[in-house]
Amino acid sequence: MTRRVVFPPRIAERLLAAALGRSQRREDILGDLHEEHAALAREAPARAALWYWAQVTRLSIRAAALRSSRRFRGGSGRRAIRSAANTTGDSLMRTIGLEIRYAIRAIVKQRALSAILVLTLALGLGANATIFAIIDSLVLRPYTMPDVDRIVVLSHTRDGDIDRRETVSPADYLDWKRQTDVFERLAAYEWWDANLVGRDEPERVPGFFVSADFLPAIGVQPVAGRNFTPEEEVPGAHRRVILGYGLWQRRFAGDPTLVGRAIQIDGWQYEVVGIAPKDFDFPMGAQLWAPLAFDAETAAQRRSRYLTVVGRLAPGRTLENAKAQMAVIDERLQQQYPDTNRGFNARVYTLAQGMLDIGLGPILSLWQASAAFVLLIACANVANLLLARGAERQREMAVRLAIGASRARVVRALLIESSILALASIPLALGLAWISLDALQASMPAKLTRFVAGWQELNVDPRLFAFTAALAIVTAFVFGLVPAVQATKPRLAESLKDGGRSLTSGGNRIRLRRALVIAEMALALPLLVASGLSALSVHRFLNGPQGYNPDGVLSMSVVLGEGTYPDGDARRRFAHDVVTKLGVISGAQHAAAVNIPPGVGSNSGRYIEIDGRPNPDPANPPSVDYRVATPAIFETLGIPIVSGRGITDADRDGAQLIAVVSESLAKRYWPGEDPIGRRIKVGDGPFLTVVGVCGDIIHDWFARRNAPTLYRPFAQAPVGYMAVLLRTSRDPASLMAAARAAVRAVDPAQAVFDVMTLREMLHERTLGLRYVAAIMAIFGGLALLLAVVGVYGVMAYLVTQRTHEIGVRIALGATTRDVLRLTVGQAGRLTAIGVGLGVVLSLALGRLIEAGLLGAATTDARLTALLAGMLIAAALAAGYIPARRAATIDPIVALRIE
Amino acid sequence: MYLGEFEQIVLLVVLRLGEDAYAIPLREEIEERTGRTVARGALYTALERLEAKRCVSSQMSAPLPERGGRSRRYYTVTPAGLAAIKATRHSLLRLWQGLEGMLEP
Repeated sequence: MTRRVVFPPRIAERLLAAALGRSQRREDILGDLHEEHAALAREAPARAALWYWAQVTRLSIRAAALRSSRRFRGGSGRRAIRSAANTTGDSLMRTIGLEIRYAIRAIVKQRALSAILVLTLALGLGANATIFAIIDSLVLRPYTMPDVDRIVVLSHTRDGDIDRRETVSPADYLDWKRQTDVFERLAAYEWWDANLVGRDEPERVPGFFVSADFLPAIGVQPVAGRNFTPEEEVPGAHRRVILGYGLWQRRFAGDPTLVGRAIQIDGWQYEVVGIAPKDFDFPMGAQLWAPLAFDAETAAQRRSRYLTVVGRLAPGRTLENAKAQMAVIDERLQQQYPDTNRGFNARVYTLAQGMLDIGLGPILSLWQASAAFVLLIACANVANLLLARGAERQREMAVRLAIGASRARVVRALLIESSILALASIPLALGLAWISLDALQASMPAKLTRFVAGWQELNVDPRLFAFTAALAIVTAFVFGLVPAVQATKPRLAESLKDGGRSLTSGGNRIRLRRALVIAEMALALPLLVASGLSALSVHRFLNGPQGYNPDGVLSMSVVLGEGTYPDGDARRRFAHDVVTKLGVISGAQHAAAVNIPPGVGSNSGRYIEIDGRPNPDPANPPSVDYRVATPAIFETLGIPIVSGRGITDADRDGAQLIAVVSESLAKRYWPGEDPIGRRIKVGDGPFLTVVGVCGDIIHDWFARRNAPTLYRPFAQAPVGYMAVLLRTSRDPASLMAAARAAVRAVDPAQAVFDVMTLREMLHERTLGLRYVAAIMAIFGGLALLLAVVGVYGVMAYLVTQRTHEIGVRIALGATTRDVLRLTVGQAGRLTAIGVGLGVVLSLALGRLIEAGLLGAATTDARLTALLAGMLIAAALAAGYIPARRAATIDPIVALRIE
Repeated sequence: MYLGEFEQIVLLVVLRLGEDAYAIPLREEIEERTGRTVARGALYTALERLEAKRCVSSQMSAPLPERGGRSRRYYTVTPAGLAAIKATRHSLLRLWQGLEGMLEP
C-alpha cells in the first residue's frame, strides 16, 4: 500500500524555519513536526493544519525569546537591568504577559477615557465590518452552489463599452455550444414572467425558460422527478415545468403526487416534471423553470439578444482556457456575420462577476470609502486622546526610560495597550455590525432582494470576525504608533523636574494634535457632502416636478399569457374591456393602459428614423422611449397636450397610423418647426404621422429625465404586458379591491401584480437610493460627531495647558472677550484650514459620490458651502465650551496651581 | 555536575529508549510515565542544554521520506551523562534514607 505523503502548511513551515534561523536543530525540529503532522493528518486532516500552526506559533515565539535573551546576556554589564526588568532566560512570553497585565491595569485605571476610546473605535470598526459583510456576501461570494468556481457566465460586450454586459442571441449561443469544448455544459436562459393559475387567485411567478443543460451546468439536481431532456427543447414538446421548492410548498402544500400532473400557466397546460431543491432560486429568485425551445426561425436569429448564457468548465479546463477559446470563436463569428456581430465581443466571467449588478459597484465603493473615512476620523480622535494621555503619563515614561528600559520597549508596551483597546472594541463593533445588518435586511422588501444574490447570506460570520480582528490590529498601529513614539521622546531631564510645565516642550505634540484635528475636519466634510447629496436627491426624486401628476392614480400590472392571448385582437379586447370596466367604478375619473408607467425601473426604447432624413450612421440610429397607450392616457396621468391632439378612440387598428411625441422629441428632431403632420418611423415598421405634442415627464430621476418619448395608440400596436392606470378623486388605495375585481370580471384566470398607487411606486423606486441616503446619513452623522468631539478634546486640552498663561492675562486686565477671541480664534483657524482641505477633497471625490448615487444628483456648490458652514459652526460651538471655561478662570486660582 | 529535575527525566528516558531515542518518542514516553504534558520547546531546550553539558551526544539519521526528506536526531547518553545521573541518584537516595517511615504509608 502506498501511503500518501501529507505536507504541512507551507507558509507555516517557512515561518518556523525563519524563526529557527541557523539553529543547529532546525532540521530535526522541522522533521519532527512534519512526522507528527503526517500522523495526525491521517486521522483528522482538518485539525492537523490547525495543530501545525499552533506548534509553529509556540516554537517561533520560544525561539525568538531564546535568541533575544542570549543577545541580552551577551553584554555582562546589563545584568542588573535584566533582573530589574524581569527578563530571565527564555521569558519573553513572561515579559509580554507582564506588559499585557500592566496595560490592562493602566486601561482599567482610566476607565472613562478607555470607554470613550473603545466606543470610538467600535463605531469606526463597526461601520467597516458592516460594509465588508455586504461586499463579502454580495460581491465576493454571492452564490453558494457546489463547485461554484467552475460555473461561468458568457456575455457580449460592445466595442468601447466593456463594462456593460449584453445578453446573447439564440444563433450565437447555439454556435458557441457547437464550437466549444472547454465547457462540460453550456446553457441559456430567458426571462419568463409566468401567470400561474391554480386553486387560489391567479399569481405571477418569477420564472425562466432554460436549456436542458441548465440545471446540470449549475450543478443542481431536482429533489423529486427529473430534469428536462433535450427532446423537450422543441416547440410543442416544451410544456414541461420544474417547480421551486418554496412554490411547491406554498401553493401545492408539498403535494408529492404533483410530479407528472399538469398545472395551468399562461393559459396552457404544463406538465410538472420535477421539484427544485430547497432554497434554490437561481437566477433572480426563480420559482418556475420550463424548457427553452427554439423554432427554426428563432434559432437563426442573431439580431435580437435576450439570452443569458451560463456554463460549467470541463474537467481540467480553466477560465483562461475558456477565454482563449471564446476569443477565437468570436473572431470567426464577427467575420462570418459582420452585419449583426461586428463590434460585439464574447466574454467569459466567473459567476459572481457575470451576475454582478453594475450599479452595485459604485455604491459599494462609496460606502467602503465612507466607512474607511469614518475609521480614519475615529483613529485621529483616538490618537488625539492618547496624545493627551501621553502628556499626563510623561513622568511615568520618563521614569521607565531612566531606569533602563529601551525606547523600543516602552513603545512596545504602549502599542500593547492600544492593541488591547482595539481588541476590546471588536465585540462591540461586531455587535454594531450585527444590529445594522439585521436592520438592513429587515427593511429591504422581498421584491428587491430577488435581484440581489447573496442578500440572504448577509450575516456575522467567522470571515467577518477575522476581517474585523485584522482591521483592529492595523488600526491599533495607525492610532497608537505616533502617540507612543511621541510619548517616549527623550526629554528626561525636563519631565523629571517636578512641576515642569511643558509650555515649550509640548510644542511638537500640540502641533501634531492640531494636524489631527485638521485632518478630521478635512475627512468629515466629504462625508457630509455625500450624505447631504443623497438626501437631496431622494427629496428631489419624490417631491420634484415630475411632468405628470402622481397623486390620485392607482396602477396595476398584468402580463398576458400567450396561450390565452395569442394575437393582437385578444390583447386589444382585454385592454379595452378592462379600461371600460375601470371607468365605471364609482369615484373613477379616467382609466388607461400603458406598456410602461412612469416611475418604474424598466423602460422600453426603440430606434427611430425621421421621414426624409435617413440616419447618417446606420449602425448607431437615434433611440427614443417608446410607449403604447389607450386613449385616456394623458388625462389619466395628467400630462398636458401642448399642441395638436392626444390619442382617441378613432385611432384604431386599420385607421391612419399616428403618434404623439413629447416636447423634447419635437425639439430635438424638428427644431423650430411644427412637428404636426411630420412622419416618423419606429424600428423597421411603417411611418407614423405625428398628430400631437405632449409635455415631457421625468420617467426616472437616475437617467431618464425629460427623455424624448413617443406614444402610440394601443389599438395600433398591442403588446402583451401593461400597467392599467386609474385616476380618482378619492384615495386611490381605497379602490384596489374594486380594480382587481374589474380585471377578474374580464378574465378570472389573469394574474394581477404590483397593485399600488403611483406615489407608492415612486417611493419603491427610490428605495435603493433611500438606502444609500440612510447609510450615508449615518456615516455623515458619525463623521460630524467624531470631528466635533475631536475639536472639543483638543481645545479643552489647550485650555488646560494654558491655564497659567490665561490666568496671567486676566490678572493683567484681559477681558472675557479677549480670552474668548484667543481660544475660539484658535479653534476657528484649525477648522478653517480643515474645512478648506475638505472642500478640495470633496471636489476630488465628487465623481465617486455621483457614481455612487447612480447619477441622481450632481455635486452642488451651494450644498457644499452650506455643509462646510455647518461643520464650522459645530466646530466653533465645540471649541466655545472650553473657551468659556477659560474666560471664567479666576486668576488667583490659576496662578496658585503652580 | 548538578542536573535539574527535568534534565534528569529527559536523561532517564533517553536511557530507557536506547536505539529509538529521538524527540517524538522521547516526549511521548515522558508524558506517559510522568503523566504531565511536556512543551515541545521545553524538550528541545533541555536536550540542547544536556548536549552543551556533554551529558548526551546526538547523531543525525539518513533523510526519511515521512519527514519530508529530513533526518532524525538520535540521542545517546555519554559516560559523563551516566556519571552525572548516578551521582544525582546517590545524593537523592542519601537524602531519602531514614525518611521512609514518614513519607511512605
